Amino acid sequence: MASQTPAVVMDNGTGYSKLGFAGNDSPSFVFPTAIATKGPAGGGASGGAGRPPVAQKPSYLTGGAGPTGHLSAKRGTEDLDFFIGDEALAQAAGPGYTINYPIRHGQVDNWDHMERFWQNSIFKYLRVEPEDHYFLLTEPPLNPPESRENTAEIMFESFNCAGLYIAVQAVLALAASWTSSKVQDRSLTGTVIDSGDGVTHVIPVAEGYVIGSSIKSIPIAGRDITYFVQSLLRDRGEPDSSLKTAEQIKEELCYVCPDIVKEFTRFDREPERFQKYVVEQLGGKKVTVDVGYERFLAPEIFFNPEIYSSDFLTPLPNVVDNVIQSSPIDVRRGLYKNIVLSGGSTLYKDFGRRLQRDIRHLVDDRLRASEARSGGAKSGGLEVQVITHKRQRHGPWFGGSLLGQTPEFRSYCHTKAEYDEVGPSIVRRFALLGGPGT
Amino acid sequence: MLLLEYHNLLLKYILTERFASTTPSSIDQVISDFDGVTFHVSTPESKTKILISISIKCYKDLLQHGAQQVLEREYGPYITETEPGYDFSLLIDLENLAEEAKEDLIRRVSLLRRNTMAAPFEKAIDTHHALAEAAKAVSSESAPQATESEVMVIRYRDEEAMYIQASADRVTVIFSTVFREETDRIFGKVFLSEFVDARRRAIQNAPQVLYRNDPPLEIRGVPGVGDVQGDVGYITFVLFPRHLTQQRREESISHIQTFRDYFHYHIKAAKAYMHSRMRRRVADFLKVLNRAKPEAEEGEKKERKTATGRSFRVQA
Ligand SMILES: Nc1ncnc2c1ncn2[C@@H]1O[C@H](COP(=O)(O)OP(=O)(O)OP(=O)(O)O)[C@@H](O)[C@H]1O
Ligand SMILES: [Mg+2]
Repeated sequence: MASQTPAVVMDNGTGYSKLGFAGNDSPSFVFPTAIATKGPAGGGASGGAGRPPVAQKPSYLTGGAGPTGHLSAKRGTEDLDFFIGDEALAQAAGPGYTINYPIRHGQVDNWDHMERFWQNSIFKYLRVEPEDHYFLLTEPPLNPPESRENTAEIMFESFNCAGLYIAVQAVLALAASWTSSKVQDRSLTGTVIDSGDGVTHVIPVAEGYVIGSSIKSIPIAGRDITYFVQSLLRDRGEPDSSLKTAEQIKEELCYVCPDIVKEFTRFDREPERFQKYVVEQLGGKKVTVDVGYERFLAPEIFFNPEIYSSDFLTPLPNVVDNVIQSSPIDVRRGLYKNIVLSGGSTLYKDFGRRLQRDIRHLVDDRLRASEARSGGAKSGGLEVQVITHKRQRHGPWFGGSLLGQTPEFRSYCHTKAEYDEVGPSIVRRFALLGGPGT
Repeated sequence: MLLLEYHNLLLKYILTERFASTTPSSIDQVISDFDGVTFHVSTPESKTKILISISIKCYKDLLQHGAQQVLEREYGPYITETEPGYDFSLLIDLENLAEEAKEDLIRRVSLLRRNTMAAPFEKAIDTHHALAEAAKAVSSESAPQATESEVMVIRYRDEEAMYIQASADRVTVIFSTVFREETDRIFGKVFLSEFVDARRRAIQNAPQVLYRNDPPLEIRGVPGVGDVQGDVGYITFVLFPRHLTQQRREESISHIQTFRDYFHYHIKAAKAYMHSRMRRRVADFLKVLNRAKPEAEEGEKKERKTATGRSFRVQA
């Protein structure tokens, strides 16, 4: 291992996994965090071995294989018969395979599936011998330490990886924003809004350390917006309202407007704002879907959640403001000044601009109120800045790539030898990568 | 899924995507592959000129055994001045690329690693055929000649090497491999004994496989053998003439090259499988334990602890 092999950076999200090598400016592979396995769903840790196998599909659907018998389970190769990513989705459409999503709300839910997902990612897609490479993995905020230990157990004991670093996605997202021209100093202080497929987190970070007690998560993210678009399409009886179509319409045509009432009248005035989306269905048939108000209504649920949900009602700008207000007073200024976006669901056009405007309003209102209360004392004002940058989409991955290529990266990792010496608990602590002094 | 592919998936993706799209864009990607192979795909001059470079640990060894000729045969017109820091470079100009050449080129380029490593195997097979011819010609009467070639050494990893030797009736390939853990060695042994079993049971025309912990006879005395300390194993493959025919040779070369990675991949897959069985066991045991827990701890045991560790009784 004398020569320097590039570190492998893996960001496994609820919806998509981003895999690649440190130093590159984009991940080599981005595919759904999904695994298609033979036989009935579940399995893994939760499925008891003693339970009688319950056929979930009639046997003619499982291709005659059905739930695996005892003998074949011992000698067979079921454990190797699986697919991940896009291939998994394709296989699961046919008979015989069931689709599983090993990550829920950002955290690993099924370790058996995750282990095999990694195994295939490493050997089949990335084509590396883990013994030759250092790995940088990501974790969601407030990941339980046991979960880290499980990860380390798999990486070191199954794969013998040379070294491992586990970083919090939000911290990596901050590092990724260093590429923006608006960011002058490479500080690791800021508020990260990470909105992916499953959850949206608002995470205050001070000097690279996550202020755990102030994190807020919002149960609205990419998947919900897709469902919302889908329901609008269904209500209108469009010829195609599959989830896939809804997702594509969302990603290509949706944007954030400054004011919904005005936007409605604008649509009525300018009919060219209504668009058509052509979908090619299975078998090559083409249908046209009309796209209307959902173009701006869908992302609007971040700002007016009541149009979608009845139990979560706080708009995103208020959540951000509350998070910063609940953080220690001496870092608040830095948190307002560096609000960094990350994740696929922050990519809507003008998302950052609207957010900045709304948060600034909240802040200014409060300042004015306190000025009034203090009887004329002038406040110096507070700078609110939302950073939109080019690497936002794969923010955590890109931050990992940036930090993973630095010469000192390896010294921050725990190595296989250290793991063998101390055991899994070693990964409970990592020195801060990219922090002050590096 | 059981086998590893011979080509690099990412190289294939990138080229397929670039060849199909009409809007050129710049690329700069470093890609790793097994055994310390690194590719660099970039567009240094202009967006339509893709430079693909490979760096491979054992390039010196490979050059001695005809790598240059093999690469020229495979990539002739695309070969370009080698990028600094790499061993071999190709340049593809998107503007001068015939539509019908694209598919073949994608295939060839994604096999770059395989083709670079193929030279010594090709040489060995050629030598084997030559020796076999010679042996036939002299037949029985004359004195026995040299029927074995010298051993070719390909140091393709820091501590591991491949040794290839051709003779009139076979080609022998020996891998030395290091196990990072004792468990790996045991899994490896089990895995290889399955190979031997399979040959005995069903697939009689499979190559012969032998495993030993000390260097086999063929390579004793080759400089460097036995220098590595620790858990080394030697795996010998004997390829018989039926594997070396004109039709089979390409396939055989691809297979044998990926063997080391395939082997270590399966050791790891086996461990992953064991782990999932262990997890299931633990879950079952936990269930049993939970069932054994006494239900009613109420009544006499109403003692609780405060945060500081002092205990107190809950008043009914
Ligand atoms: N251009 C776009 N506009 C809007 N949404 C998009 C766009 N591109 C991707 N998305 C959405 O972003 C989501 C995926 O984002 P991302 O890859 O950051 O999530 P993840 O990391 O898998 O999930 P999480 O961070 O919640 O664990 C999907 O819901 C996808 O539809
Ligand atoms: Mg994510």
